[in-house]
Amino acid sequence: MEEKSNAYFTAAVIAAILLIFTVADLFHGDRIYSETENRLLATRPSVTRKAVFSGKFAEDYEAYVTDQFAGRDKWIAIKTQSDIALQKKEINGVYLGEDDYLIEQHLPEDYSDLQEAKRTALLQKLVDQWDALVMLVPTADNVLTDKLPKYAPYYDQEALLERIAAQVGGDHFVDTLGMLRLHANEDIYYRNDHHWTSLGAYYGYLAWAESRGEEPYSYRTNAMTTVSEDFLGTLQSRTNLDRKGDTIQYFRGTVKRPVTVTYDFDRVTDTFYEEAYLETKNQYGFFLDDNHAFVQIDTSYHNGKTLFVIKDSYANTMIPLLTPHYERIYAVDLRYYNGKLSTLMKQVEPENGMDVLVLYNCIHFLEDFSYTE
Amino acid sequence: MVFSSVVFLFRFLPFFFLLYFLIPKRGKNYVLFLGSLFFYAWGEPVYVLLMLFSTVADYVNGRLIWRYRGKGRAKFFLILSVAVNLLILCFFKYADFLIQSVNVLAGTDIPLLDLPLPIGISFYTFQTMSYTIDVYRGDTKVQRNILDFGVYVTMFPQLIAGPIVKYRSVAEELHRRRIDIFGISRGAKRFVVGLAKKVLLANAIGQLWADVSAAETAELSVLTAWIGILAFAFQIYFDFSGYSDMAIGLGEILGFHFPENFDHPYVSGSVTEFWRRWHISLGSWFREYVYIPLGGNRKGLPRQLLNILIVWMLTGIWHGAGWNYLFWGLWFAFWLVLEKLFLGKVLKALPKGIGILYNTVVVLMGWVLFGLDTMPQIQGYLGAMFGLGGPLADRRGLYLMREYLTLFVIAAIASTPLLERLVKKLEDSGTGWGIALYRLGEKVFPALLLLLSVAGIVDAAYNPFLYFRF
Repeated sequence: MEEKSNAYFTAAVIAAILLIFTVADLFHGDRIYSETENRLLATRPSVTRKAVFSGKFAEDYEAYVTDQFAGRDKWIAIKTQSDIALQKKEINGVYLGEDDYLIEQHLPEDYSDLQEAKRTALLQKLVDQWDALVMLVPTADNVLTDKLPKYAPYYDQEALLERIAAQVGGDHFVDTLGMLRLHANEDIYYRNDHHWTSLGAYYGYLAWAESRGEEPYSYRTNAMTTVSEDFLGTLQSRTNLDRKGDTIQYFRGTVKRPVTVTYDFDRVTDTFYEEAYLETKNQYGFFLDDNHAFVQIDTSYHNGKTLFVIKDSYANTMIPLLTPHYERIYAVDLRYYNGKLSTLMKQVEPENGMDVLVLYNCIHFLEDFSYTE
Repeated sequence: MVFSSVVFLFRFLPFFFLLYFLIPKRGKNYVLFLGSLFFYAWGEPVYVLLMLFSTVADYVNGRLIWRYRGKGRAKFFLILSVAVNLLILCFFKYADFLIQSVNVLAGTDIPLLDLPLPIGISFYTFQTMSYTIDVYRGDTKVQRNILDFGVYVTMFPQLIAGPIVKYRSVAEELHRRRIDIFGISRGAKRFVVGLAKKVLLANAIGQLWADVSAAETAELSVLTAWIGILAFAFQIYFDFSGYSDMAIGLGEILGFHFPENFDHPYVSGSVTEFWRRWHISLGSWFREYVYIPLGGNRKGLPRQLLNILIVWMLTGIWHGAGWNYLFWGLWFAFWLVLEKLFLGKVLKALPKGIGILYNTVVVLMGWVLFGLDTMPQIQGYLGAMFGLGGPLADRRGLYLMREYLTLFVIAAIASTPLLERLVKKLEDSGTGWGIALYRLGEKVFPALLLLLSVAGIVDAAYNPFLYFRF
């Protein structure tokens, strides 16, 4: 008799799990958007004869049911926890590093010599034509190397930077890697996001000033303004771990004197910092209003000097630090700017010329940099 | 539809079984037949017609063979049936392979057909052939009920990945089968174990192989190459045997008893033993319908060796339309012949551990042929395994080893009979705590494995969109 009741029990438990989630799923309304995944979820596909017979309906329906499955976020959390229980140190392309760091993975095989040669050739052209200064920032995996999981592979940006320095010449190259490695034990990268922090950008700024032989402005690293303590960035999203948020800070020195910031020739504000972003998932957008094709900054330092920055989002934290050195700064983001770069540069260049700075992290440089004449 | 999907587990399965259990006995085969057609048509609607054609053709041929049994015409209809099946199989599975080979060999430029492969075609054509051949030989009676026959051909549990169920082994159950709570509970447990094998082991460790096989073979260290192919070995074993477990389990819930398909192949002490434990239903099919009719071992040694060669070329090519599969089959034929000639005796005299090691190396090298499809890749990979490529070990290899060590250990244990033996021991222990532990495990594990598997399935589609990436 005990055998029989055991059989009923096992069958009932398995059936119950399947049925409960089936019913729960059927009666659970569809979500349009997933906050954790930061994307629109698949919607119920419509039944058309063509879709059904081509098999497309089945495909779409499966994507829909899986996207909308009851308790989706919880299931994903369970899977992540079971991976961690299996001693995995990498989830979705993110390393679970020491000291509570999430570090984005960049594998050596993902970056080809051809890709590097193409970007470097374009960079060389820009440097030749505009006497540009090149500042490529290493990502966290190349700086916080002692925090990576044991033996974790990473794309060697030191070697990349050596090749680029040799190509463009030392006068045109800022050694950011050396400077950041000196400060690797400070909070120069976020623990939940792939960007550098304001402090990291500050050391980048010091490296910039050093290579130009300029006196750096005395920003006070011990008196920064904290605007958020719950920043969960891209790396937290990708791992979906329950984590303590990062702190977002900025230097008071950057708000001492008034500025005018114009986004895409259109919207004008008087600050580098957009607090509205602190209420969203994308808190890093606080700096320079997230991403814009073109930004113009007019500072209160009337020295007649102009800077033109070709940049990615890493630059958004560093550009405010450059204000004491320029009267006007232009910043262009090539992922959003569709026009010809050289035309734009000639158009905005003042009569007394301008400095040109290429400011990217190494990965974004390999993925996105270009120069069109 | 695949078993390891949300649609199958939380749409098809509950609705199908509710209907199946609620409907009176007479109606169950209707439910099973229509449910199976729906299952097959999902995502592949057109090829359902091909499967139905195959069903009707073999039903008719079976009846004609039966009517003319003992006469010459029976043979004609048998040949017709086998020819129809092989034609369908060859056309849909091998046409492009043949065209490509002709193009390469003769320098012609015949365009490819580019037909998608009908799912499960290699399985159901083999099943229906077993039926007509058995009817011809008088090993089974004819099936007059086309619904029952349709159920046999289309039944969804083993439709897409086996086991290859011979008609005669389920002939009785097609008509009359017992459905009770013991079968249901055993089947449900078996299904969950299979699902867990597929999702928690095969898919997880398959990631490693996906990484390694995508890399340039010239860059692989010896360590990485071996870890990679070992991962593939576990992936394919748990994937395939997991599917068989799910099929057998579902069959048992329905009231069918399908044959076992895997018996811990990786603990085999020889290649001969490996093939008695790996994909058993296919091996037994080829043995019964090809090897023995060719004369098996009854016509002298040279003929036997030739027969082995033929069977293994066919086995190889059955797994896929590509030269690498043919070589894979020949690779095994080579070792099987050696074992027949002398190696088998040598291995018997040696400790079993050495046999297992030998078999593992042969099988792993075989998986290189199976898992990679171009000759330069295969050569490069085998070279890397034996140190012709990169260094002995590198950072990447050490990293992969560390990252997957726990999973490897679990997979290794799960591929031996140790766990089953432990469970059996507890069950039979008779002592209080042993039984208690067994009862507890029996209650907790199926639920736990099912929940973890669902998490794995849902997570596979975890797709955070990082538009704010930069």
